[in-house]
Amino acid sequence: MYSSLVRLQNTFGFFTTVAFVVALLISASDFLSDRTPTVHVLKTTQLSTVLGRADYYSSKKEEYAVIKFTLDADLSSLFTWNTKQVFAYVTAEWPSAAQGNNATNQAVIWDTIITAPSSDHLGNFSPSKLKRLRKSANGKGIDPSRGKLQIKNQRLKYPLTHPTGKLAQTKDVRLKLHYNVQPWVGFLSWNQAQDWGKWKALKNGLSKKFTLPAVKVKEQAKKKTTTGGAKA
Amino acid sequence: MAEQLLDQVRDVFEGQIDFEGQKLVENLVNISLSVVGAIAFLVGYFLQDIKLAVYIGLAGTAATFLLTVPPWPIYNKNPVKWLPVAGTAPPTNIVIDENMLP
Repeated sequence: MYSSLVRLQNTFGFFTTVAFVVALLISASDFLSDRTPTVHVLKTTQLSTVLGRADYYSSKKEEYAVIKFTLDADLSSLFTWNTKQVFAYVTAEWPSAAQGNNATNQAVIWDTIITAPSSDHLGNFSPSKLKRLRKSANGKGIDPSRGKLQIKNQRLKYPLTHPTGKLAQTKDVRLKLHYNVQPWVGFLSWNQAQDWGKWKALKNGLSKKFTLPAVKVKEQAKKKTTTGGAKA
Repeated sequence: MAEQLLDQVRDVFEGQIDFEGQKLVENLVNISLSVVGAIAFLVGYFLQDIKLAVYIGLAGTAATFLLTVPPWPIYNKNPVKWLPVAGTAPPTNIVIDENMLP
């Protein structure tokens, strides 16, 4: 503490210690808040299976599931002062026909990023959407109402198929909602299978089991004409 | 003239303070940074606003730097009292090469 330079170094050194401790406290404060995520509705509203190709040059015809679903979930309790954003995603899951290593098939069919008002400026939003988000936050640091998901007849965001190319008439398919809480400081946390202190497991996060329908006949007729054309 | 000016500049840049001042600065840094951290966390937690916590922490730290880094006069209240220089007259009886200096 003799000269200015030494004082500068010592003060900065202690500042890093204080900053680290405050960050630890902030991340620990997450455990003091309740997490009670609930799904009110998660159901399919439309099901079909079609034949398609992964890309234009792919010769392999694969079966793709076409699903529309309705989701009504309340994730608002995940938003605290330390929440940066919540990543919510829906997967389709079904047991594998061949028992063994890959006992469960799982594929993401839809996802969304819900930013907290404190991280709106980091999102890749259009100016108009950013304005709307800022307005809805009304100057507050957190806006739990953004955690209320109400989606009707949502189409798949990502194509749903299987490496074998066979997907039609698959039994016991279920949709499942997942979430991933991304804090400003601390660990990432996902939806839990069981309660953990004040953090409750996601309630009702699985849809009813359903069976994918057979491939539409109309698609097969189309296929014949295209192969005929290629030979000529 | 130029040397005097340079000396002054160096004194300001080095910013030396006395021993009592060093003890005081050490305590001030520890206490003020801890208090700033505690306030930042508590205000942020109760108002549920993480940006506010960050800004309070940074502003408090900047204030602490301002308080402790420059050599403020209060850190130089107890300058070390050196003994007076003994014997200002040049020494006599110095023998060099067996010759007594005049």
